[in-house]
Amino acid sequence: MIQNMLESSPGWFNFIIFFILGVILLFIVLGFVTYSILAERKVMGFMQLRIGPNQVGGRWGLLQTVADVLKLLLKEDIIPKLADKPLFILAPIIAFAPSFMVLATIPFTDKFQFADLGVGLLYYVAVSGMTVFGVLLGGWASNNKYSLLGGARATAQMISYEIPLVMSVLGVILLSGSLNLNKIVEAQAHGWFILLQPIGFIIFIIASTAELSRTPFDLPESESELVAGYHTEYTGFRWAFFMLAEYVYLFAMSALITVLFLGGWMSPFKFLNFIPGSVWFALKFCFVVFIYIWFRVTFPRMRADKLMEFAWKVLLPIALANIFLTALIKSLFFGA
Amino acid sequence: MTFSGEFFASMVLALVAIIGGVLLLNLNKVVHMVVALIFTFVSIAGIYILLSAEFVAAVQVLIYSGAVTIIMLFGIMLTKPYDESEEPTGKWRKIILAIGIVGFAFAVYLGIYNFDIPQVQTVLHENNTMQIGKAIYSKFIIPFEFVSVLLLVALIGAIVLAKREDKEGEKE
Repeated sequence: MIQNMLESSPGWFNFIIFFILGVILLFIVLGFVTYSILAERKVMGFMQLRIGPNQVGGRWGLLQTVADVLKLLLKEDIIPKLADKPLFILAPIIAFAPSFMVLATIPFTDKFQFADLGVGLLYYVAVSGMTVFGVLLGGWASNNKYSLLGGARATAQMISYEIPLVMSVLGVILLSGSLNLNKIVEAQAHGWFILLQPIGFIIFIIASTAELSRTPFDLPESESELVAGYHTEYTGFRWAFFMLAEYVYLFAMSALITVLFLGGWMSPFKFLNFIPGSVWFALKFCFVVFIYIWFRVTFPRMRADKLMEFAWKVLLPIALANIFLTALIKSLFFGA
Repeated sequence: MTFSGEFFASMVLALVAIIGGVLLLNLNKVVHMVVALIFTFVSIAGIYILLSAEFVAAVQVLIYSGAVTIIMLFGIMLTKPYDESEEPTGKWRKIILAIGIVGFAFAVYLGIYNFDIPQVQTVLHENNTMQIGKAIYSKFIIPFEFVSVLLLVALIGAIVLAKREDKEGEKE
Protein backbone atom coordinates (compact mmCIF):
# COMPACT_ATOMS: atom_id res chain seq x y z
CA MET A 1 0.00 0.00 0.00
CA ILE A 2 2.76 2.38 0.94
CA GLN A 3 4.65 1.63 -2.25
CA ASN A 4 1.60 2.71 -4.27
CA MET A 5 1.24 5.86 -2.22
CA LEU A 6 4.92 6.73 -2.56
CA GLU A 7 4.54 6.57 -6.32
CA SER A 8 1.29 8.55 -6.48
CA SER A 9 1.32 12.31 -6.82
CA PRO A 10 1.93 14.15 -3.55
CA GLY A 11 -0.90 15.90 -1.78
CA TRP A 12 -2.29 16.73 1.62
CA PHE A 13 -4.21 13.44 1.76
CA ASN A 14 -1.02 11.40 1.38
CA PHE A 15 0.77 13.58 3.85
CA ILE A 16 -1.92 13.04 6.48
CA ILE A 17 -1.93 9.27 5.95
CA PHE A 18 1.84 9.10 6.26
CA PHE A 19 1.69 11.29 9.33
CA ILE A 20 -0.91 9.06 10.99
CA LEU A 21 1.05 5.90 10.15
CA GLY A 22 4.18 7.47 11.57
CA VAL A 23 2.38 8.41 14.77
CA ILE A 24 1.00 4.88 15.10
CA LEU A 25 4.51 3.45 14.72
CA LEU A 26 5.76 5.93 17.29
CA PHE A 27 3.18 4.73 19.79
CA ILE A 28 3.99 1.07 19.08
CA VAL A 29 7.64 1.86 19.71
CA LEU A 30 6.82 3.78 22.88
CA GLY A 31 4.81 0.78 24.09
CA PHE A 32 7.75 -1.45 23.34
CA VAL A 33 10.12 0.87 25.22
CA THR A 34 7.84 0.95 28.25
CA TYR A 35 7.56 -2.81 28.51
CA SER A 36 11.13 -3.60 27.47
CA ILE A 37 12.33 -1.54 30.43
CA LEU A 38 9.99 -3.50 32.69
CA ALA A 39 11.08 -6.79 31.09
CA GLU A 40 14.69 -5.82 31.54
CA ARG A 41 14.18 -5.07 35.22
CA LYS A 42 12.18 -8.25 35.76
CA VAL A 43 14.63 -10.51 33.92
CA MET A 44 17.56 -8.89 35.67
CA GLY A 45 15.77 -9.35 38.97
CA PHE A 46 15.11 -13.04 38.40
CA MET A 47 18.66 -13.66 37.18
CA GLN A 48 20.03 -11.99 40.30
CA LEU A 49 17.61 -13.84 42.59
CA ARG A 50 15.56 -10.71 43.29
CA ILE A 51 11.92 -10.05 42.51
CA GLY A 52 12.07 -6.79 40.59
CA PRO A 53 9.22 -4.29 40.39
CA ASN A 54 6.10 -5.81 41.97
CA GLN A 55 4.18 -2.94 43.59
CA VAL A 56 2.70 -0.65 40.93
CA GLY A 57 0.14 -2.32 38.67
CA GLY A 58 -0.30 -5.73 40.19
CA ARG A 59 2.04 -8.56 41.00
CA TRP A 60 4.11 -8.13 37.82
CA GLY A 61 4.59 -4.39 38.21
CA LEU A 62 2.90 -3.76 34.88
CA LEU A 63 2.45 -0.03 35.48
CA GLN A 64 5.88 0.60 37.01
CA THR A 65 7.45 2.14 33.89
CA VAL A 66 4.33 4.16 33.16
CA ALA A 67 4.60 5.66 36.61
CA ASP A 68 8.32 6.31 36.09
CA VAL A 69 7.66 8.12 32.83
CA LEU A 70 4.92 10.22 34.41
CA LYS A 71 7.30 11.16 37.19
CA LEU A 72 9.91 12.20 34.62
CA LEU A 73 7.43 14.37 32.75
CA LEU A 74 6.31 16.11 35.94
CA LYS A 75 9.86 16.82 37.04
CA GLU A 76 11.21 20.36 37.04
CA ASP A 77 13.10 21.14 33.85
CA ILE A 78 16.56 22.30 34.89
CA ILE A 79 19.07 23.89 32.55
CA PRO A 80 22.39 24.64 34.28
CA LYS A 81 23.29 28.32 34.34
CA LEU A 82 26.64 27.93 32.62
CA ALA A 83 25.41 25.38 30.07
CA ASP A 84 25.34 26.23 26.41
CA LYS A 85 21.59 26.72 26.24
CA PRO A 86 20.70 26.21 22.53
CA LEU A 87 22.87 23.12 22.21
CA PHE A 88 21.68 21.79 25.55
CA ILE A 89 18.12 21.89 24.20
CA LEU A 90 19.01 20.63 20.74
CA ALA A 91 21.17 17.67 21.80
CA PRO A 92 18.43 15.28 23.03
CA ILE A 93 16.48 15.90 19.83
CA ILE A 94 19.51 15.18 17.65
CA ALA A 95 20.06 12.02 19.66
CA PHE A 96 16.46 10.80 19.39
CA ALA A 97 15.40 11.72 15.83
CA PRO A 98 17.78 9.33 13.98
CA SER A 99 16.82 6.44 16.23
CA PHE A 100 13.23 6.73 15.02
CA MET A 101 14.25 7.45 11.41
CA VAL A 102 16.08 4.15 11.04
CA LEU A 103 12.86 2.23 11.74
CA ALA A 104 11.47 3.41 8.40
CA THR A 105 13.46 0.93 6.36
CA ILE A 106 13.11 -2.20 8.49
CA PRO A 107 10.77 -4.82 6.97
CA PHE A 108 8.68 -6.18 9.83
CA THR A 109 6.80 -8.54 7.52
CA ASP A 110 6.68 -8.82 3.76
CA LYS A 111 3.90 -6.22 3.66
CA PHE A 112 4.48 -4.09 6.73
CA GLN A 113 7.37 -1.84 5.83
CA PHE A 114 7.53 1.90 5.40
CA ALA A 115 10.28 2.46 2.85
CA ASP A 116 11.73 -0.27 0.67
CA LEU A 117 15.09 1.40 0.10
CA GLY A 118 17.67 0.01 -2.30
CA VAL A 119 20.41 0.88 0.18
CA GLY A 120 18.42 -0.03 3.31
CA LEU A 121 21.32 -1.45 5.29
CA LEU A 122 23.61 1.45 4.47
CA TYR A 123 20.82 3.87 5.37
CA TYR A 124 20.52 2.25 8.79
CA VAL A 125 24.26 2.51 9.47
CA ALA A 126 24.54 6.07 8.17
CA VAL A 127 21.55 7.50 10.01
CA SER A 128 22.25 5.70 13.28
CA GLY A 129 25.70 7.29 13.22
CA MET A 130 24.05 10.70 13.63
CA THR A 131 23.05 9.93 17.22
CA VAL A 132 26.67 10.28 18.25
CA PHE A 133 26.35 14.03 17.71
CA GLY A 134 23.48 14.28 20.15
CA VAL A 135 25.52 12.47 22.77
CA LEU A 136 28.72 14.42 22.15
CA LEU A 137 26.98 17.80 21.94
CA GLY A 138 24.92 17.03 25.04
CA GLY A 139 28.09 16.21 26.92
CA TRP A 140 29.79 19.35 25.67
CA ALA A 141 26.86 21.69 26.23
CA SER A 142 26.45 20.54 29.84
CA ASN A 143 29.72 22.32 30.65
CA ASN A 144 30.68 19.60 33.08
CA LYS A 145 33.90 17.63 32.89
CA TYR A 146 32.25 14.29 33.58
CA SER A 147 29.70 14.91 30.87
CA LEU A 148 32.37 15.93 28.37
CA LEU A 149 34.40 12.84 29.23
CA GLY A 150 31.31 10.66 28.88
CA GLY A 151 30.43 12.27 25.55
CA ALA A 152 33.96 11.86 24.23
CA ARG A 153 34.04 8.24 25.36
CA ALA A 154 30.69 7.53 23.75
CA THR A 155 31.85 9.05 20.48
CA ALA A 156 35.15 7.19 20.40
CA GLN A 157 33.37 3.95 21.22
CA MET A 158 30.55 4.31 18.72
CA ILE A 159 32.85 5.39 15.88
CA SER A 160 35.29 2.54 16.57
CA TYR A 161 32.67 -0.17 16.85
CA GLU A 162 30.79 1.03 13.80
CA ILE A 163 33.65 -0.26 11.63
CA PRO A 164 33.56 -3.93 12.74
CA LEU A 165 29.76 -3.68 12.71
CA VAL A 166 29.73 -2.73 9.02
CA MET A 167 32.54 -5.15 8.15
CA SER A 168 30.70 -8.07 9.76
CA VAL A 169 27.56 -7.54 7.66
CA LEU A 170 29.61 -7.39 4.45
CA GLY A 171 29.56 -11.19 4.48
CA VAL A 172 25.75 -11.12 4.49
CA ILE A 173 25.76 -8.58 1.67
CA LEU A 174 28.14 -10.76 -0.35
CA LEU A 175 25.95 -13.83 0.03
CA SER A 176 22.65 -12.09 -0.65
CA GLY A 177 24.05 -9.74 -3.30
CA SER A 178 22.02 -6.77 -2.15
CA LEU A 179 21.85 -3.94 0.36
CA ASN A 180 18.06 -4.08 0.29
CA LEU A 181 16.72 -5.55 3.53
CA ASN A 182 13.80 -7.26 1.75
CA LYS A 183 16.13 -9.04 -0.63
CA ILE A 184 18.37 -10.04 2.27
CA VAL A 185 15.40 -11.70 3.95
CA GLU A 186 14.37 -13.42 0.72
CA ALA A 187 17.91 -14.73 0.24
CA GLN A 188 17.51 -16.62 3.52
CA ALA A 189 14.72 -18.84 2.25
CA HIS A 190 17.06 -21.86 2.14
CA GLY A 191 19.03 -21.16 5.30
CA TRP A 192 19.41 -18.37 7.75
CA PHE A 193 22.57 -16.33 7.60
CA ILE A 194 23.35 -17.18 11.20
CA LEU A 195 24.21 -20.66 9.90
CA LEU A 196 26.17 -19.43 6.90
CA GLN A 197 27.81 -16.51 8.73
CA PRO A 198 28.40 -17.61 12.32
CA ILE A 199 31.56 -15.50 12.69
CA GLY A 200 29.85 -12.47 11.20
CA PHE A 201 26.91 -12.94 13.56
CA ILE A 202 29.11 -13.09 16.66
CA ILE A 203 31.06 -9.98 15.64
CA PHE A 204 27.83 -8.19 14.78
CA ILE A 205 26.20 -8.93 18.12
CA ILE A 206 29.31 -7.81 20.05
CA ALA A 207 29.72 -4.63 18.01
CA SER A 208 26.00 -3.86 18.21
CA THR A 209 26.07 -4.18 22.00
CA ALA A 210 28.84 -1.60 21.94
CA GLU A 211 26.84 0.61 19.57
CA LEU A 212 23.90 0.45 21.94
CA SER A 213 26.36 1.22 24.78
CA ARG A 214 24.90 -1.47 26.99
CA THR A 215 26.87 -3.48 29.50
CA PRO A 216 29.65 -4.72 29.03
CA PHE A 217 30.23 -1.65 26.85
CA ASP A 218 28.43 0.97 28.93
CA LEU A 219 31.55 3.04 29.61
CA PRO A 220 30.02 6.29 28.29
CA GLU A 221 27.56 6.31 31.18
CA SER A 222 29.43 4.31 33.79
CA GLU A 223 27.90 5.66 36.96
CA SER A 224 30.80 4.68 39.21
CA GLU A 225 33.42 6.70 37.30
CA LEU A 226 31.57 9.36 35.35
CA VAL A 227 28.38 9.94 37.34
CA ALA A 228 26.24 8.81 34.38
CA GLY A 229 28.45 10.40 31.73
CA TYR A 230 26.98 12.63 29.06
CA HIS A 231 23.55 13.01 30.67
CA THR A 232 24.70 13.97 34.17
CA GLU A 233 23.17 17.44 33.89
CA TYR A 234 20.00 16.32 32.17
CA THR A 235 16.76 15.76 33.97
CA GLY A 236 13.06 15.41 33.29
CA PHE A 237 11.89 14.89 29.74
CA ARG A 238 15.24 15.86 28.19
CA TRP A 239 16.86 12.99 30.03
CA ALA A 240 13.92 10.82 29.03
CA PHE A 241 14.73 11.60 25.40
CA PHE A 242 18.24 10.18 25.77
CA MET A 243 16.88 7.06 27.45
CA LEU A 244 14.18 6.77 24.81
CA ALA A 245 16.78 6.97 22.03
CA GLU A 246 18.73 4.18 23.70
CA TYR A 247 15.74 1.87 23.90
CA VAL A 248 14.46 2.70 20.42
CA TYR A 249 17.90 1.68 19.20
CA LEU A 250 17.49 -1.56 21.12
CA PHE A 251 14.25 -2.06 19.19
CA ALA A 252 15.85 -1.16 15.87
CA MET A 253 18.99 -3.21 16.42
CA SER A 254 17.03 -6.30 17.49
CA ALA A 255 14.82 -5.94 14.43
CA LEU A 256 17.91 -5.53 12.24
CA ILE A 257 19.54 -8.67 13.66
CA THR A 258 16.30 -10.57 13.07
CA VAL A 259 16.27 -9.39 9.48
CA LEU A 260 19.95 -9.93 8.74
CA PHE A 261 20.71 -13.20 10.49
CA LEU A 262 17.50 -14.88 11.65
CA GLY A 263 15.51 -14.86 8.45
CA GLY A 264 13.16 -11.96 9.22
CA TRP A 265 9.50 -12.92 8.96
CA MET A 266 10.14 -16.35 7.44
CA SER A 267 9.32 -19.54 9.28
CA PRO A 268 12.22 -21.90 10.01
CA PHE A 269 10.56 -24.96 8.50
CA LYS A 270 8.19 -25.35 5.58
CA PHE A 271 5.47 -27.14 7.56
CA LEU A 272 5.22 -24.20 9.96
CA ASN A 273 4.27 -21.80 7.16
CA PHE A 274 0.66 -21.52 8.43
CA ILE A 275 1.83 -19.28 11.29
CA PRO A 276 1.82 -15.67 10.02
CA GLY A 277 5.08 -13.86 9.39
CA SER A 278 4.46 -11.21 12.00
CA VAL A 279 4.37 -13.89 14.73
CA TRP A 280 7.68 -15.31 13.59
CA PHE A 281 9.19 -11.86 13.47
CA ALA A 282 7.94 -11.07 16.96
CA LEU A 283 9.27 -14.35 18.38
CA LYS A 284 12.74 -13.91 16.91
CA PHE A 285 12.74 -10.26 17.87
CA CYS A 286 11.88 -11.01 21.51
CA PHE A 287 14.59 -13.66 21.59
CA VAL A 288 17.21 -11.11 20.47
CA VAL A 289 16.01 -8.58 23.04
CA PHE A 290 16.26 -11.28 25.70
CA ILE A 291 19.86 -12.01 24.61
CA TYR A 292 20.74 -8.34 25.08
CA ILE A 293 19.21 -8.32 28.57
CA TRP A 294 21.02 -11.54 29.36
CA PHE A 295 24.33 -9.95 28.30
CA ARG A 296 23.66 -7.02 30.55
CA VAL A 297 23.16 -9.21 33.61
CA THR A 298 26.03 -11.55 32.89
CA PHE A 299 29.05 -9.46 31.93
CA PRO A 300 31.06 -6.96 33.98
CA ARG A 301 32.02 -3.65 32.41
CA MET A 302 35.10 -3.55 30.20
CA ARG A 303 38.12 -1.44 31.05
CA ALA A 304 38.42 1.75 29.01
CA ASP A 305 41.86 0.97 27.59
CA LYS A 306 40.90 -2.59 26.64
CA LEU A 307 37.82 -1.31 24.84
CA MET A 308 39.57 0.32 21.87
CA GLU A 309 42.14 -2.45 21.60
CA PHE A 310 39.34 -5.00 21.40
CA ALA A 311 37.62 -3.18 18.56
CA TRP A 312 40.69 -2.48 16.44
CA LYS A 313 42.96 -5.43 17.19
CA VAL A 314 40.47 -8.27 17.65
CA LEU A 315 37.10 -7.57 16.04
CA LEU A 316 38.29 -5.74 12.92
CA PRO A 317 40.89 -8.34 11.79
CA ILE A 318 38.43 -11.19 12.39
CA ALA A 319 35.75 -9.33 10.46
CA LEU A 320 38.13 -8.75 7.54
CA ALA A 321 39.14 -12.42 7.57
CA ASN A 322 35.44 -13.31 7.57
CA ILE A 323 34.88 -11.22 4.42
CA PHE A 324 37.78 -12.99 2.71
CA LEU A 325 36.47 -16.39 3.75
CA THR A 326 32.96 -15.56 2.61
CA ALA A 327 34.18 -14.37 -0.78
CA LEU A 328 36.16 -17.61 -1.13
CA ILE A 329 33.17 -19.77 -0.16
CA LYS A 330 30.87 -17.88 -2.46
CA SER A 331 33.11 -18.23 -5.49
CA LEU A 332 33.84 -21.91 -4.76
CA PHE A 333 30.41 -23.25 -3.85
CA PHE A 334 27.74 -20.78 -4.85
CA GLY A 335 29.19 -19.98 -8.26
CA ALA A 336 29.68 -16.30 -9.01
CA MET B 1 5.72 26.65 -12.84
CA THR B 2 4.15 23.58 -11.32
CA PHE B 3 4.23 23.32 -7.57
CA SER B 4 5.15 19.71 -6.94
CA GLY B 5 6.26 17.89 -3.84
CA GLU B 6 9.70 17.47 -5.32
CA PHE B 7 10.02 21.22 -5.89
CA PHE B 8 8.90 21.91 -2.34
CA ALA B 9 11.34 19.38 -0.87
CA SER B 10 14.26 20.64 -2.91
CA MET B 11 13.45 24.25 -1.91
CA VAL B 12 13.39 23.34 1.80
CA LEU B 13 16.59 21.31 1.56
CA ALA B 14 18.39 24.02 -0.38
CA LEU B 15 17.28 26.65 2.13
CA VAL B 16 18.50 24.56 5.06
CA ALA B 17 21.81 23.94 3.30
CA ILE B 18 22.32 27.65 2.59
CA ILE B 19 21.21 28.76 6.06
CA GLY B 20 23.54 26.19 7.57
CA GLY B 21 26.38 27.56 5.46
CA VAL B 22 25.64 31.17 6.44
CA LEU B 23 25.39 30.25 10.12
CA LEU B 24 28.66 28.36 9.82
CA LEU B 25 30.32 31.64 8.88
CA ASN B 26 28.45 33.88 11.30
CA LEU B 27 28.19 31.99 14.57
CA ASN B 28 30.65 32.83 17.31
CA LYS B 29 31.35 29.53 19.04
CA VAL B 30 33.26 26.94 17.09
CA VAL B 31 31.09 24.03 18.21
CA HIS B 32 27.96 25.85 17.02
CA MET B 33 29.59 26.24 13.62
CA VAL B 34 30.10 22.51 13.38
CA VAL B 35 26.42 21.94 14.20
CA ALA B 36 25.50 24.30 11.36
CA LEU B 37 27.83 22.31 9.13
CA ILE B 38 26.01 19.09 10.03
CA PHE B 39 22.72 20.61 8.90
CA THR B 40 24.32 21.62 5.60
CA PHE B 41 25.75 18.16 5.01
CA VAL B 42 22.51 16.37 5.85
CA SER B 43 20.41 18.58 3.60
CA ILE B 44 22.87 18.05 0.76
CA ALA B 45 22.34 14.32 1.29
CA GLY B 46 18.59 15.02 0.99
CA ILE B 47 19.20 16.73 -2.35
CA TYR B 48 21.11 13.66 -3.55
CA ILE B 49 18.07 11.54 -2.66
CA LEU B 50 15.87 13.84 -4.75
CA LEU B 51 18.26 13.21 -7.63
CA SER B 52 17.77 9.44 -7.04
CA ALA B 53 21.39 8.98 -6.03
CA GLU B 54 20.56 7.07 -2.88
CA PHE B 55 23.95 5.41 -2.50
CA VAL B 56 25.76 8.74 -2.68
CA ALA B 57 23.27 10.19 -0.17
CA ALA B 58 23.86 7.41 2.36
CA VAL B 59 27.62 7.72 1.94
CA GLN B 60 27.39 11.50 2.30
CA VAL B 61 25.65 11.09 5.65
CA LEU B 62 28.02 8.30 6.72
CA ILE B 63 31.31 9.97 5.78
CA TYR B 64 30.71 13.72 5.84
CA SER B 65 28.05 14.18 8.51
CA GLY B 66 29.32 11.20 10.44
CA ALA B 67 33.06 10.74 10.41
CA VAL B 68 34.44 14.06 9.16
CA THR B 69 32.40 16.27 11.48
CA ILE B 70 33.09 14.05 14.48
CA ILE B 71 36.82 14.37 13.83
CA MET B 72 36.43 18.15 13.58
CA LEU B 73 34.47 18.24 16.83
CA PHE B 74 37.12 16.17 18.56
CA GLY B 75 39.84 18.45 17.27
CA ILE B 76 37.98 21.51 18.54
CA MET B 77 37.21 20.01 21.93
CA LEU B 78 40.74 18.85 22.54
CA THR B 79 42.20 22.27 21.82
CA LYS B 80 40.27 25.23 23.26
CA PRO B 81 36.67 24.35 24.01
CA TYR B 82 35.37 27.82 24.79
CA ASP B 83 37.32 29.84 22.29
CA GLU B 84 35.25 32.53 20.60
CA SER B 85 36.32 33.82 17.24
CA GLU B 86 37.10 37.52 16.98
CA GLU B 87 35.33 39.98 14.73
CA PRO B 88 37.64 41.05 11.89
CA THR B 89 37.79 44.83 11.61
CA GLY B 90 38.20 47.29 8.74
CA LYS B 91 35.58 49.12 6.72
CA TRP B 92 37.42 48.96 3.42
CA ARG B 93 37.88 45.27 3.74
CA LYS B 94 34.13 44.80 4.07
CA ILE B 95 33.40 46.95 1.02
CA ILE B 96 35.92 45.11 -1.12
CA LEU B 97 34.48 41.83 0.11
CA ALA B 98 30.95 42.91 -0.81
CA ILE B 99 32.10 43.90 -4.32
CA GLY B 100 33.82 40.56 -4.65
CA ILE B 101 30.70 38.65 -3.62
CA VAL B 102 28.45 40.59 -6.01
CA GLY B 103 30.94 40.12 -8.83
CA PHE B 104 31.16 36.40 -8.17
CA ALA B 105 27.39 36.03 -8.00
CA PHE B 106 27.06 37.92 -11.29
CA ALA B 107 29.70 35.76 -12.97
CA VAL B 108 28.05 32.56 -11.78
CA TYR B 109 24.65 33.85 -12.88
CA LEU B 110 26.02 34.62 -16.37
CA GLY B 111 27.65 31.23 -16.45
CA ILE B 112 24.67 29.09 -15.52
CA TYR B 113 21.72 31.14 -16.81
CA ASN B 114 21.87 29.73 -20.32
CA PHE B 115 23.86 26.66 -19.51
CA ASP B 116 22.48 23.89 -21.62
CA ILE B 117 22.40 20.47 -20.01
CA PRO B 118 21.25 17.94 -22.58
CA GLN B 119 18.54 15.73 -21.16
CA VAL B 120 19.59 12.12 -21.58
CA GLN B 121 17.41 9.18 -20.69
CA THR B 122 19.29 7.22 -18.06
CA VAL B 123 18.58 4.22 -15.89
CA LEU B 124 20.89 5.40 -13.13
CA HIS B 125 18.19 5.26 -10.48
CA GLU B 126 17.71 1.50 -10.92
CA ASN B 127 20.18 -0.59 -8.95
CA ASN B 128 22.18 2.50 -8.19
CA THR B 129 24.69 0.74 -5.97
CA MET B 130 25.35 -2.09 -8.36
CA GLN B 131 25.98 0.30 -11.25
CA ILE B 132 28.44 2.33 -9.18
CA GLY B 133 30.24 -0.86 -8.16
CA LYS B 134 30.47 -2.10 -11.74
CA ALA B 135 31.76 1.25 -12.99
CA ILE B 136 34.39 1.48 -10.27
CA TYR B 137 35.70 -2.04 -10.72
CA SER B 138 35.73 -2.10 -14.51
CA LYS B 139 35.99 1.33 -16.10
CA PHE B 140 37.64 3.32 -13.30
CA ILE B 141 39.76 0.64 -11.66
CA ILE B 142 43.08 2.48 -11.98
CA PRO B 143 41.92 5.80 -10.44
CA PHE B 144 40.23 3.76 -7.72
CA GLU B 145 43.47 1.94 -6.92
CA PHE B 146 45.34 5.24 -6.91
CA VAL B 147 42.90 6.70 -4.42
CA SER B 148 43.30 3.69 -2.14
CA VAL B 149 47.10 4.01 -2.27
CA LEU B 150 46.76 7.72 -1.49
CA LEU B 151 44.59 6.96 1.54
CA LEU B 152 47.05 4.31 2.68
CA VAL B 153 49.89 6.83 2.46
CA ALA B 154 47.84 9.32 4.50
CA LEU B 155 47.12 6.63 7.09
CA ILE B 156 50.78 5.67 7.46
CA GLY B 157 51.74 9.35 7.57
CA ALA B 158 49.30 9.91 10.43
CA ILE B 159 50.74 6.93 12.32
CA VAL B 160 54.30 8.22 11.83
CA LEU B 161 53.35 11.69 13.06
CA ALA B 162 51.58 10.32 16.12
CA LYS B 163 54.50 8.03 16.97
CA ARG B 164 57.08 10.84 16.84
CA GLU B 165 55.11 12.95 19.30
CA ASP B 166 54.94 10.00 21.66
CA LYS B 167 58.73 9.57 21.74
CA GLU B 168 59.34 13.25 22.46
CA GLY B 169 56.90 13.00 25.32
CA GLU B 170 58.84 10.12 26.85
CA LYS B 171 62.15 12.04 26.76
CA GLU B 172 60.86 14.98 28.75
